[in-house]
Formats: sequence, structure tokens, C-alpha cells
Amino acid sequence: MSNTTYSATSGIQQEEPLLFEHAHEASESISLPGVQGKAPSSLDAFKRKTAANIPGLSEPEAVRHFVRLSQWNHGIETGFYPLGSCTMKYNPRVNEQVARLPGLAHVHPDQPEDSVQGMLELLHELQGWLCEIAGFSDVTLQPAAGAHGELTGLMMIRKCLDARGEQKRKKVLVPDSAHGTNPASAALCGMYTVEIKSGADGRIDLDELKKHLNDDVAALMMTNPNTAGTFESNVKEICQLVHDAGGLVYGDGANLNALVGVARPGDMGLDCLHINVHKTFSTPHGGGGPGAGPVAVNDTLKPFLPVPRIEKDGDVFKVLTEDEQSIGSVLSTLGQTGVYMRANAYISAFGHNHIHKIAQDAVLNANYVLSRLKEAYHVPFEGLCKHECLLTDEWQNKHGVKTLDIAKRLIDLGFHPMTVYFPLIVHGAMLIEPTETESKKTLDSFCDAMLEIAAQCEAGDTQALHDAPVKPIRRRLDETQAARKPVLVWQD
Amino acid sequence: MRYLPHTDSDRQAMLQSMGHSNIMDLFADIPSEFHTKLGSLDLPVALSEAGIVKKFTKAAEKNRHAGNTRCFLGGGTYHHFVPAVVDYVISRGEFLTAYTPYQPEIAQGTLQALFEYQTMIARLTGMEVSNASMYEAATATAEAALMARRVTRKTRTVIAGSVNPRYRAVTENYLSRLDGDYVEVAMGQKGTIHGTDLSQVIAAMDEQTACVIVQYPDFYGSVYDLAPLREACDAHKCLMVVAFSDASAFGLIESPGAYGADIVVGSGQALGIPMAFGGPHLGVFACKQKYLRQMPGRVCGLTTDADGKRGFVLTLSTREQHIRREKATSNICTNQGLMCTAAATYMTLMGDAGLETVANHSAAALDLLVSKLPSGVVAADGAHYNETVLTFTSAEKRDAFINEARNNDIFAGIPLETIEKGAEQIDGNRHLLVATTEMIEEDDINDYIATMEVAL
Repeated sequence: MSNTTYSATSGIQQEEPLLFEHAHEASESISLPGVQGKAPSSLDAFKRKTAANIPGLSEPEAVRHFVRLSQWNHGIETGFYPLGSCTMKYNPRVNEQVARLPGLAHVHPDQPEDSVQGMLELLHELQGWLCEIAGFSDVTLQPAAGAHGELTGLMMIRKCLDARGEQKRKKVLVPDSAHGTNPASAALCGMYTVEIKSGADGRIDLDELKKHLNDDVAALMMTNPNTAGTFESNVKEICQLVHDAGGLVYGDGANLNALVGVARPGDMGLDCLHINVHKTFSTPHGGGGPGAGPVAVNDTLKPFLPVPRIEKDGDVFKVLTEDEQSIGSVLSTLGQTGVYMRANAYISAFGHNHIHKIAQDAVLNANYVLSRLKEAYHVPFEGLCKHECLLTDEWQNKHGVKTLDIAKRLIDLGFHPMTVYFPLIVHGAMLIEPTETESKKTLDSFCDAMLEIAAQCEAGDTQALHDAPVKPIRRRLDETQAARKPVLVWQD
Repeated sequence: MRYLPHTDSDRQAMLQSMGHSNIMDLFADIPSEFHTKLGSLDLPVALSEAGIVKKFTKAAEKNRHAGNTRCFLGGGTYHHFVPAVVDYVISRGEFLTAYTPYQPEIAQGTLQALFEYQTMIARLTGMEVSNASMYEAATATAEAALMARRVTRKTRTVIAGSVNPRYRAVTENYLSRLDGDYVEVAMGQKGTIHGTDLSQVIAAMDEQTACVIVQYPDFYGSVYDLAPLREACDAHKCLMVVAFSDASAFGLIESPGAYGADIVVGSGQALGIPMAFGGPHLGVFACKQKYLRQMPGRVCGLTTDADGKRGFVLTLSTREQHIRREKATSNICTNQGLMCTAAATYMTLMGDAGLETVANHSAAALDLLVSKLPSGVVAADGAHYNETVLTFTSAEKRDAFINEARNNDIFAGIPLETIEKGAEQIDGNRHLLVATTEMIEEDDINDYIATMEVAL
């Protein structure tokens, strides 16, 4: 085996203690501006009796500490990151630069409207673009992440049904391939979920759907393309059936990257769609956020949009704070505006002339990976995939190798693993989403690695798979131990 | 297109290898009636990188901001100093462009930073455990109310009227579709702005109460003794939830945990995160260890690897939506991970001494401002940290001052009624919510007072 095919090597990695273990007396305090006085005596009675015990490192020590930690991470900038349903595409650096302009980063949310017209203009512009791309008539920027968008969308659906006098409708239909956030969001909205079993092709089964459609149905939550990476080609009929039964259709837009510029969910009959801007519109995921989950709506749900939101009045941008039928607010502010600055910059870079290339190349890359791997790995659902492809470990199981082993071996070869064990509708799922920002060379290298792993399984040469990973700073971690006796804070 | 590596010949080669000739063949499963004509969306033409910088610079220049004004605005968002190192650390691609740490072996950097964050938040708030963030303070407050329902199996929520009105609005919204009562306790009497009166809050509690939520320092900046609330919570077997808006306070004043709080929620924006108009900020969530399994959100825990070395993983995932689905403790998935790294970096640079200095300077600035107020303007009574309410003799006087201040590049404060709906009904729009931080210098306060004297 040639070691030059793949990118992972054991470079110098520095062990680094917890900052609490940098045992020395706190260095001289950082110099701070402001009124160089003490708090007034009126606060004396309320002072801390003991210090918080935050250690305080000198600036050089702090920088080295966090830089060393950073080097233990795999990021998009480090290497290929094909996490399915997560859309880990390149995050343009210019977006970081413009979001940090003082006139955008250091604006207070309660400044008078006339002092934030530039900010409101950029946000309003983005509102229009999101509606145009997704095919809806209006949008709220308030939700802070995808799951928050789901909750917001369901709140609007609830209010819409209540306005129709249909308070009794509380059943939310969720395909068994859905993200776990879907049922959790429904529960938070005082509704209950019923799972619809997917058909043999991994798609929503119309007959199965019809069985659940009755006077109790509030909504269907659908992800399209679904989490098996395939398009629900019956989407129009599905929406029609739900509407005829008196329910509404919620769109989970986690997989919008497959459609950008090529097709619009709003045209297909969905009533609303949340958009994960940290996926589709390339805002950095930051090791777990911040994201943003704007919800686009059609005319049916528009009256129920949250406040505050931005409207244009002549040449002036205004913040609407009250609206008769609004569900109210779901966040303290207008939304995670810093995230939206990056999304605006991203769409600006594509424009109407390039935007469809996002979906085209994303879908091309996923199908290319699928075509290269389908002889070596079990493909549960035949046919075209969209922006991600689904494999399973069925053929490797007979050699004692599981999805987890394959994932961990990929780490040693320099790749971030795919999403594993999701969706739940197949055993040993491996969901691969390459995104459009990867070159053919990278895709080939990844596919070569996957094929080599499959060949090692066939040859019974599996020790390296079970031992993996050996190259990162830590090997497989004991999750059972962590959960059994949770230690979430350091005790000196 | 500069973000797309493929050349047309790459695309053709890939398509041919799959037996296709046109990239749109790959979209044949989407009914043709839904195909958008390529290039037809109503978006502007693509901008170059230079064009993007120019566009954003132009828009940014239309805004006034804390860098070219004196910002006395608070109400949940504060202009504190952010050391350059914080932005450097969170700009590193390894932190910035990583996903949620599902593969812990190659995410130890994010995970150790989260563990350090959790530890420092627990210490700062005086609590036993912290999660790895919520979106922001209002949703964190709502999640605390939901958690208290699970812990106590009771459904009545009592919240003080001196909690930030935005936190109250979101909490009420979250609870409104569920069974149970939501009770807001009005503070003060007609004609005055009062800080928290715990006796009124306590009077509203009963045996059905799942939790009582107060803010400390409260929305009006008032600092008060929380001890009576602990006793009342014990008497009614309900949880004591303490919210806060400016985490810098706890560098100086007693932590909510020291008063016996069961859950502490609030904004960590003050800990090294720019105001950015509306976010991303940081929702802090900390609680007692015994309630850990009902806590919402991600948590990072200590463990060992196959070689016995110390390492970290996301843990207690059986509480979470991807395992428990509709029975999860919350629907939250993506949270504010990078903001935890920012806050951890900030607190590391500050240490106890730096945090105390920030708090001292912030409080000293407000004290100086209040001490110089001319006649005709009254600050609220009692102990305040870095925020208070000024009351003018009339709405006209207040607005004249706000406008005069604008002319001197001063954002003088937030007219109370813009956040607190109904505040104008108390006695007209005479109130101004004013906040100070260590970014306010003595000269700024002198200018503030001089402007006030001119305007009045």
C-alpha cells in the first residue's frame, strides 16, 4: 500500500493540559480601559465571598493553549468532511472579513433604526433572496438554528389551524427517516408525532401516508431530498393529500443544497421550509454553532410570522414589532444577524448566474462517489441520489467489520468520517455528503480509501480497522464511562 | 466560480464515467414542472470578492456603531472589551470550520475547550454543572421553565415582572401550547419603576408551582438579596431559576449559585462576544448536579481513550433529540459552540482579577454617571451594578436629551417602552434604561452629563 495516496500523517501534536492545570500564580491582570475606580459601596453587601477561581493565563500562554487545542481538530479547512445531511462545504474567508466590519459587528440591537439602515438593508436583501431561492413569499430570520426553525414553523402551523377553528388537530406525521429534531420540535409545540414507515425505496409510501390522514392531522414534516439522499418525486401528490386532509406541510430544509437554483420547494406545495444557513449558505459551523434557521412561508402562513421582522417602507428599512396574528417572538433579537452577514456575502458571490452550480456540483459529486463505491458497498436504495449517498456495512459485516470501524479507519487515512448510523431506516448507515466544494482529486482519494477498506475486509486483513484510529492525538474514547459517571467540570 | 474546484472537463469526465452526458440528467427524478430555468432567479449578478468587500463596506458605513460613538445601551446586550486573541482563536479554521464533535478522536480541541468553558461557567455562576450552550438568554430562560416542569412534574410557572421583557415573551411563547399556568408578577406601583420586590414574587408561589424565575441583577440593573427566595422555593418544593443579562456582574457580585439557585440561565455575550446587532450571542445554562439528566442541550464529559489517556466526548446523549426523539429534554441540536470557545478564551485571558476589574470599572462608571446627574433627572433607588433607569420630568425632556446626545455621538440609553411594552402606561415615556461598561471612559460620562445639562 502506498502511503502517499492519503493525507493523514502523524505530525507533531503537543499534549496540552487543561488550563486549570497550568499551575502558577495568576500573572499580572490584563490592562483594561474605563473608569479606573471601584464599584460603589452600595454593592459591598453583595460582593462575592470567594473568587470564582478562573485561573487567568498570560496572553502568550493563552494563545499557545488554544492553538494547541485547535490542532487536535479536523475542520473543513483541514480536510475532506463528508458528513451526510450536514453540508460541510468550504466557508469563504471574505465572509468572515466583512462580518467583522465595525459597522456590522459592533452595532447594538437597540440602536435607533436610522443608525442601522445599512444593517437592515443587508438583512432585508437576504430575506428577499431566501424567499426567491426557496420559492416562498416571506421569511422570518429569528430562529437561531434548524431545530429552532422547526419549532417556529410548527408554532405558525398551530396558530393557522387554531385560526381555522381546528384546535383538535394535533397529530404530526414524521417519516421514519426524519431528523430527531422533528419529533422533538413537535412535542415542544404541544403536538404528538406518528411515524410513517418508509417504502421499500426509502421514500414516503403514499398508501402508508393515506392510512394516517384524518381529522387529527395537523402537519406532515418532510425532508426533501430525504435523509437517504433521494428525492421524494411524489412531493406534489404528498402535499395535495395532506392539504386535502386539512393539514399543512412543513419542509425540513436541511438538504436544500441539492436544489439551490435548480428547483424550489415552495413551488412543490410545501407551506413552509426552514433553511439551515450554516449548511446551504456556507456559514461556518464553529464546532457546534452558531447557525441560523430562517423559516420561509407561503401566503397561508405569512400572517403568523414572528415579530420582530424587517420591512421596507419607501427607501427606509423598519423593524416591525407587532403584527396582529403573529405567533410572537422566539428570540430576544431579530436573529443571529452576524451569521446572516456571511450568508448574504455567500449568495452575492454566486448571483443568479452561478447559483445553480451549487446544487449541480453537489449532486454530481455525490453521484460520482456513489458510482465509484456501489460495487464495494451495499446500496440500500437504487437509483440517482441527490447531494448525498447512502451506503451500509452489510457486506463488510460478514468479515466482522462494522460502520464504526470503517469510519474510524477513514480518520487514519486523513478523512473525516461520513455520518454514521443515520438515517435509522437502514442497518449500519453510512451517509456521505461530499458537497460542491471538493475537487475530483479529493473525491477520488476518498473513494480509493473506501475501496481499499472494502478490499481489506474481503482479504480478512481487518486488524487496522479494529485498531483505528491510531493517528489522532486520542484513540477510541470510552463513551460508556463518560455517561455512567458524568464529569462535566474540572475539580482542582 | 471561485468556490467550485471543478473545470468543465472534470464535470464531463465524471458524468461520462457514470454514463451521463448532461449534468441535468442527475436531476431527472425531480418532476420537470418543478425545474427552475437555470439563471432565472431574481438575484443580482455575481460579485467578485472585491465587489463583496465594497458592498459590505458601503452598507457598514451607513451604520453608527460602538466604535465611533459612546454606547450607553444595555437591555441584554453590552459593549464590553474583546481582546484580539479571542477573535484570533475563533478564527482558526480548526475551530471555525469543524462540525459538532461527533467524532471525538479528531475533535478533542473543540471538546477540551467546551469542558473548560463548562468548568468556568459553573465556577462563575456558582453552580455544579453547565451545558455546552443554548442559543441566547431568552430561549435559555424558556428551556429552564420547561426543565423545571420535568423535574417537579408540576406545570405552573411564576416569573417576576422585573425579568427582561424579551425573556418573558419568549418563555411565555414556549409555554403557551402546553398545559399549565404562566404567571407574571407585576412589580412596583403605578407611577414608579421598581426593582424586584421578592415579597410579591413569593406571594405568587403555591404548591402547584414548578419554578419561579427572577433576574439578578434584574432588567433595571437592580441588585438584591436572593436568600428569601431560596426559603420560599424550599417551602413550595419548586425550583429557583435565576436569569442574568450581563455575565460580567459575577466577577464582582455574589453568584446565583451561592444563593442556592437550582438553575442559572443568561447571556454570555459579555464574555468576549461582539454585539453584532442581534447575535450570535451565547445562552448560558447551568444547574445543580442532581438535575443533570433533565438538563437540555449538549454536554461534554471526561473519559479515557483506548490507551487510557484522558479525553473528552459529548455525553448523556440519551437525553437528546437524536436518541429520544419526541421524549427528548429539548429539540436543540446546533447550538452556539464557537461562542463557548470565545467565552472560554476570554475568561482565560481575564482570570479572576481581570473579571473583577471589568466589573469594577463597569459599576464605577454607572456610579460616576449617577452621581453627576443634574436636577430633573432621577436614577432608580437601591444597589445597581452597571445598569439603571433614569426618570425625566417629561417625555419631551427625555427625548430632547436623546436627540442632543445623538448629535454628540452618544447613544444615551434605551427608551424603556421600546423593550417593555406598557411602560408608557406607568407615567408617560419618561424612562431611559442606561448601561455602562469598561468601554465608557470618564470623559464620555462628562460629555453625557454636559449634553444632558444643555438639553434640559
